[in-house]
Amino acid sequence: MKGRFVLVLLLSCPLLLLCGCWDYTEVELLDFVLGAGLDQVEPDFVVVTEMIKTSGSAQEAQVERVVLTTHGRSLSSAARALSSPAGRDVFWSHAQVFLVSEEVARGGVLSAIEYVLRSRHMRSTIYMFVTRDCTVEEVFKSTPPFNDTVSEHLGVIVDLHAQVSNFYPLQVWEFAQDLNAEGISGTLPTVQLIHERGEMVPIVKGTAVFKKDKMVGWLDGEESALFSLLKGRFQRNHFVMETRTSQGTYPITYQIMGNKVDIKPNVKGERPRMSIKIGLQLSVVEVGHGAKISFQDEKEVKSIEEQLAHTFNRRTRDLLEKLQLEYNADILGFGQLLRRKEPDIWRRYSENWECVFPLLAVDVEAKCTIAFTGLYSQPIIVRD
Amino acid sequence: MFFWRRAKQKKARGLTSLTNSLDTNIHWFKQDIFANDETIIYRRFRTGDPQSRACVLVFAEHMVKHEFLSEHIVRAMMQGPLPGGLHKDELITYVTEHIIHSNAVTVTGSFSKLSELIVGGRGVLLVDGCDLGIAVDAQGWAKRQVTEPPSENVVRGPRQGFTEDLGGNVALVQRRITNPAFKTKFMTVGTQSNTKVAVVYVDSVASQALVDEVIDRIEKIEIDAVLDSGYIQELIQDSPYSPMPTIGHTERPDIVAGKILEGRVAVLVDGSPFALTMPYLFVEAFQSNEDYYNHWVPATFHRIVRYISFFITTSTPALYLALISYHPQLIPTNLVISIAASRQNVPFPGIVEVVAMGLVFEILREGGVRLPRPVGQAISIVGAIVLGDAAVSASLVSAPMIIVVGITAVAGFVISPLYNTAVLMRLFLVLTSSILGFYGFVLGVMAIVIHLASIKSFGVPYLTSMTEFLGQNVKDAMVRVPWWRMNLRPKYVAAQDRKRLQSAPGRKNR
Repeated sequence: MKGRFVLVLLLSCPLLLLCGCWDYTEVELLDFVLGAGLDQVEPDFVVVTEMIKTSGSAQEAQVERVVLTTHGRSLSSAARALSSPAGRDVFWSHAQVFLVSEEVARGGVLSAIEYVLRSRHMRSTIYMFVTRDCTVEEVFKSTPPFNDTVSEHLGVIVDLHAQVSNFYPLQVWEFAQDLNAEGISGTLPTVQLIHERGEMVPIVKGTAVFKKDKMVGWLDGEESALFSLLKGRFQRNHFVMETRTSQGTYPITYQIMGNKVDIKPNVKGERPRMSIKIGLQLSVVEVGHGAKISFQDEKEVKSIEEQLAHTFNRRTRDLLEKLQLEYNADILGFGQLLRRKEPDIWRRYSENWECVFPLLAVDVEAKCTIAFTGLYSQPIIVRD
Repeated sequence: MFFWRRAKQKKARGLTSLTNSLDTNIHWFKQDIFANDETIIYRRFRTGDPQSRACVLVFAEHMVKHEFLSEHIVRAMMQGPLPGGLHKDELITYVTEHIIHSNAVTVTGSFSKLSELIVGGRGVLLVDGCDLGIAVDAQGWAKRQVTEPPSENVVRGPRQGFTEDLGGNVALVQRRITNPAFKTKFMTVGTQSNTKVAVVYVDSVASQALVDEVIDRIEKIEIDAVLDSGYIQELIQDSPYSPMPTIGHTERPDIVAGKILEGRVAVLVDGSPFALTMPYLFVEAFQSNEDYYNHWVPATFHRIVRYISFFITTSTPALYLALISYHPQLIPTNLVISIAASRQNVPFPGIVEVVAMGLVFEILREGGVRLPRPVGQAISIVGAIVLGDAAVSASLVSAPMIIVVGITAVAGFVISPLYNTAVLMRLFLVLTSSILGFYGFVLGVMAIVIHLASIKSFGVPYLTSMTEFLGQNVKDAMVRVPWWRMNLRPKYVAAQDRKRLQSAPGRKNR
C-alpha cells in the first residue's frame, strides 16, 4: 500500500512540469513601452507609442528608442496591433506618460482614458498630458537633450515640479477622480515643443482646462503656477516682480519658501461666497539693475510685502475671472468644497452650478512675508 | 566480518589466558594473535637479580614512547634487585609496586585483553613463570599540535582547536570548566575500530534525561568502525531525512564549553577534531562564539547581518528568476531595460541560466576545497576569469546573473553551519519560483518554514526562540543582549540551575 502511494506520488511529479508555467516570459523578449499617446479618435484611433529597443552584447548594452504609430477601432485594438510592427511582446507596465492631442482632448478625453484605467497592463499612476500646438507623434519624435526618451524626459520634469511649477501634474487616476467628482472640473498639464539648437525639445508648461471631459481652453505658464499654488502644491519656484522701492522701481526675483492656501465657502450672507486666503513666505533671490535696497530697513520690507500681496490678489482675481467668465470651469473645486462643508446649501445649487459658478463672489486675501534675503541683507555695492 | 569474529573466537577457545611458560605465551602471540603482524616487537631480556628471569616486553612499535619503555621497564627490570623467592602473583605485585615507574598499570591474564592493550599502545611485560601480564601505559604516537582550527577562525577569542586526540580534547574542555560538576563518560563504539567516545556535560545544569538519551543512543550503535564524529552524528540525530542539521559540530573547545554550560551535551570522538553538541537549534547557526566576546552592539549587528545573508543566499536567485520571468513590471524601468539588454543574446532561458551558474559555482567550490592551496588558487583564477568573464563576453550568461551568483555565494559563507542546507533550499526555491513566480516562491518558503517548525532535536523544537517575542530565549536569538541582561540560561535546554548571572558590578557605573 505504502509502495503504491509513493509510486503515485512519483508519477504525479511530472504533472508539475506538464502544466506549463503560468505567465512565464523572458525579459529580453519584451518590448517596453515607455510612453504612449492618442493622436486622433475619428475615424480611427491613432496610437503613438515610444518603445525601447535593447541590443548589443551583454557587456555593452545599447538602448535605442523607437516610435511606432498604429491604427485601430479602439485604443486597445490599436495598442494590440502594435505587436505586429514591433515584432515582439509589447509590455505596457513600464509606461510612464500618456499624451492626448488637443483634437482628442477637445472631442472628449473619456475615450482615451477608459482603456488606460481599465487595462491591468497600464498603471493608473501614469502621468497624463495634452499636447499644445503639436501632435503626439511630433512630441515623441522630438529629441530631449539629456534623456534617452521623451517619456523619461517628461517624467523627470514632473519630478522637478517643485522647481518649475508652471504646470500642475496629475496621474491618470487623479484626473479620472476629478472628472468623476461633483463640483470640480479637471485639468491636465500641457506639453509644448520649443526649438533648441535646431532640434525640437518637449517642455511641460501650462494647463489644459476641461469642462466635463472636453477641453475648453488653456492656462499659460504663469497662470498655471498660480493655479498649482492655489491647489496647495508644494512649490519652490521663482518669479520676477517689478518692485517699487525707495530707490526706484526694479525687477526683483522672489522664491516661494512656504505656501499655505485656505479656500473656504462663506454662507453667512444671502448667497454663498468663497474666501481664498493665501499665506506666502518668500525669499529674495536676485535684485535687478543694481538697486541699492537694504532689507534691514523694516519700512522698505513692509512696502515690498504689501506690493507682493497686492500682486497675488490681482493675479488671483484675473485667474478667477478667466475661469469663471471665459471657461466656466470650476477647476479649483469650489463646488466640491461647498458640498463638503455646507451640504445643505450645495443641494440647492448643485442642479444649476454651471450658472451659479460664473457669478460666485470670491474674496481674495493674500499675505506675504519676506523671510530670507539670501546671503546678503545689505545691497551689493560696486566701487572703483 | 562474521568469519573474522568466528575465527577469533575459535582461537580464543584454544588458549584464553596466559600460561606459566613464557615461551608458550610468546609463541601464542607470535603465531596466532599477531601472526603476520610485523609492527609488534618482542623485546627479550633478563632481570638483574641472581635468578635472572627471562622477560619479554611486547608492544606495537609505532604506538609507544620508546624512551619510556626502555627507561622505566627494561632498565628498571634489569637493574632493580628482585628479591628471591617470589612466585607468580607475588612477583607481579612486587614488580608493579616497586620496579615499574608508571602511574597507569593494568595486570591481567587474559590474552584477548592483553592483545587489545598492545594494539592500544601499551607495553605488556611478561615474566617467565607468571601467568599474568603487566600492561603499562606508554602510548605515544604522532599527534598534531593544538592549533587554531582552520574551519572556524576568530578575530577575538581563544586560538585553541581540538586535535585528533580524545584525551587531549576532553582536557581542553575541562580546562575551561574546572568544576567537579563537569562530567565525562567514556564509551566504545565500533566492533572493528573500538573507537573511544566521550560524552561530556555539566552535571548541575544538563537535564539527566537528555544525558541518558544521548548515552542510550550511542550505546545502541552497532557499526564496524567510527572514523569521525560525523558517523555518530548521522547515527543518533533526529529527523535523519531532513537536510537541516539537528546536531551541531565544532572544532573549538570554547564553543563546546559554552554549549555544555547552557545545559547541552557534547560528544567527542577519538580521532576526530570535531565535537558534536546536542540539542542543536536553528538559532545556533546564527550565533558565533565571537558574538559573546565582542561588545553586544556590534555583535547584534553582525548577527542581523547573518540573518540577512541567510535570506540572500537562499532567495536571491529565486527572486531574480521570478522577477525577470514573471514580474518584469516590478523592476524599476531603467534596471529592467538594462537587464533585458544584457540578456539580449543569451540563448538560455532564465531558469537554465540560474541552475547552470549555481552548478558551476558549486563545482568550482568543490574543486577548490580539497585541493592544495597553490592549485586552489589556479582554480579560482579559472573560475573568476575564464568562466565568469569569458562566459559573459561569449553571451552564454548575462552579467546580472554573475552578480546574483556572486552575492549568493559570498552570503552563503557567512552562515557556514547552514551552508550545505542553504544550497538545497536555494535550489528548491529556484524550482518553485520558476514554476509559479513570486507565488511559487512564497509557497516554497512556507513549505520550508513548516518543515522547520515540525522537526525537533532531542525533544527541543527546532525553531525554539525564533518563534517567540518575549522572554529570556529571545535575548540570544535575533539580538545578543548584553551579558548583564542574560541572567538566565536558555529555558528549553538548561533543565536545572537556570541562573547564569548573579550580579554585574559594572552596571552601577553605567
